[in-house]
Amino acid sequence: MTDEIMQPDAAESATGDGTDRRGFLKTTGLAALGAHLGMNIPFAGNLMALAQGMSEEDIMAGKDGLILMNDRPLNAETPAHLLDADVTPYEHFFVRNNGLVPDTALDQNAEGWTLTIDGEVDTPLELSIDDLRERFEVVTRRLVVECGGNGRAFFQPGASGNQWTTGAVGCADWTGVRLRDVLNAAGVKDSAVYTAHYGNDPHLSGDPDKNPISRGVPIEKALTEDGLIAWEMNGEPIPAIHGFPLRVIIPGYPGSASQKYLNRIWIRDQVHDGAKMTGYSYRLPAYPVAPGTEVPEEDMVIMTDMPVKSLITFPQTGSETPAGAPTEVRGHAWAGSGDIASVDVSIDFGQTWIPASLDPPKNRFAWQRFRADVTLPEAGYYEVWARATDMAGVAQPPVVPGWNPRGYGNNMQHRIAMIAT
Amino acid sequence: MTVKTIFLRAGLLAPAVLAATAALAQQAYDPMRPAANPLAPPTSAPASAAPAVETDPELGNLPVGPGAEDTYYQCVACHSTAIIRQQRLTDERWDYLWTWMIEEQGMYEPEPETTDVILTYLKTHFSSER
Ligand code: HEC
Repeated sequence: MTDEIMQPDAAESATGDGTDRRGFLKTTGLAALGAHLGMNIPFAGNLMALAQGMSEEDIMAGKDGLILMNDRPLNAETPAHLLDADVTPYEHFFVRNNGLVPDTALDQNAEGWTLTIDGEVDTPLELSIDDLRERFEVVTRRLVVECGGNGRAFFQPGASGNQWTTGAVGCADWTGVRLRDVLNAAGVKDSAVYTAHYGNDPHLSGDPDKNPISRGVPIEKALTEDGLIAWEMNGEPIPAIHGFPLRVIIPGYPGSASQKYLNRIWIRDQVHDGAKMTGYSYRLPAYPVAPGTEVPEEDMVIMTDMPVKSLITFPQTGSETPAGAPTEVRGHAWAGSGDIASVDVSIDFGQTWIPASLDPPKNRFAWQRFRADVTLPEAGYYEVWARATDMAGVAQPPVVPGWNPRGYGNNMQHRIAMIAT
Repeated sequence: MTVKTIFLRAGLLAPAVLAATAALAQQAYDPMRPAANPLAPPTSAPASAAPAVETDPELGNLPVGPGAEDTYYQCVACHSTAIIRQQRLTDERWDYLWTWMIEEQGMYEPEPETTDVILTYLKTHFSSER
């Protein structure tokens, strides 16, 4: 393992000028990066980590080949070819943190950790992780987690936030208990409308009265069988950066609903209005708008299901292959609406499409493997495009779909370059 | 890199290009590079031949220019400049973010003159408009 994090020169890529992004990737360790990003000055934002002698480097140790978007808070995406595995390993799982990594996570100390379920319930609960394990059926589910802003980099004009391209997504095996079982044990009242998730991660300003993020979901979504309260990722305690010791996983929704460092689920009698529930955060215009439109805040509606999507994870873009011989192209497809109906690939810019074989998901909201053999007829430059279609017949568009002020929900078809020799 | 990309496009139209060079350029071409709408005519791409911006490593690699220092000290209390350097926004979105940073995130509000300097700097360097 090279333990290498790459940093696109943000100043360059921010111009969105169509130059080759990979040309700006700096293959450098995070230490070198520190100077590059201006971390050589004292900063208040990371006192928690600094106080323990931890640096971003320590926190990110074990991540391999990710592209760093932001060092404080930590945000990094995964190049498509590193997402080829059916189960995304820790080292290739993207990072989207809104605040600081809490001490409890850095220390891997879950002692005394409790999860409170309160609000519109008959019996408020305070559960230790052992309580969860003993009182409820423990299940392992393979679930995609994807940032709502994955694909943001392709919007014109730009949309604010980390400029994710395609790599703010991963699919891991999560072990825990069903969110539904826990909520039912507390007894959800008829007055319940929305969940409100809280964690113990500090706000970037260090202000203890502020939450970096506190989102939730409609109570109906929370009561489906798919949501989890998880303490393991891929058979290990959830790593610090992914929410140790407990997180909720709301499959099919923007990753921001899957609160890390979870210590409270408040059942509310109204739509939750916590940090990043309001304004433009994780919201879309209520009607289609032209790119660059200033949409009034009251016309922004909460984003729910993530769109249908696919990613070509093999071969790596730019790979060579002999002309005239079949080559396997493969990847994953997933959708917030549930299962995928079909995936097609094209080697001629979408003029003709070749049906790919599609494996069933391990469980609902796991991504599905697709494979297709393509034969590139003669030497030269080709692009392979992939297009997934969900059960409702909704397919990925060839271009960036509806512009929105924060750049959510871009599910344009993924393309790789293939060179026939 | 820019040159290579342009070269590739020309190369596709001009088969006379040396095969070896063309192959190299092809492999460097990333069909998923963040760029304008792929359906837009090539001329609509922003001038990519612009000289590289000079950045100041002492100021978190913000582009050199009036307001860089004010911006740096105003903004790095909470996060690094990396989140700023990624943006290319409309002026209105910068105005909105400024208010959001103060009202929602607790950013200290500077004097109006400083506000002006910083917002002008942000709108100059991290803009979708210029
Ligand atoms: C008091 C703390 C604080 C200060 C000071 C601050 N910010 Fe922020 N800023 C935040 C937080 C919190 C976020 C959200 C980070 C995240 O989601 O990763 C953020 C996010 C951003 C973003 C991304 C916006 C988005 O839509 O996701 C930009 C751009 C930004 N800040 C620019 C600035 C600039 C420019 C300054 C200085 C004028 C500044 N910030 C000062 C707290 C602050």
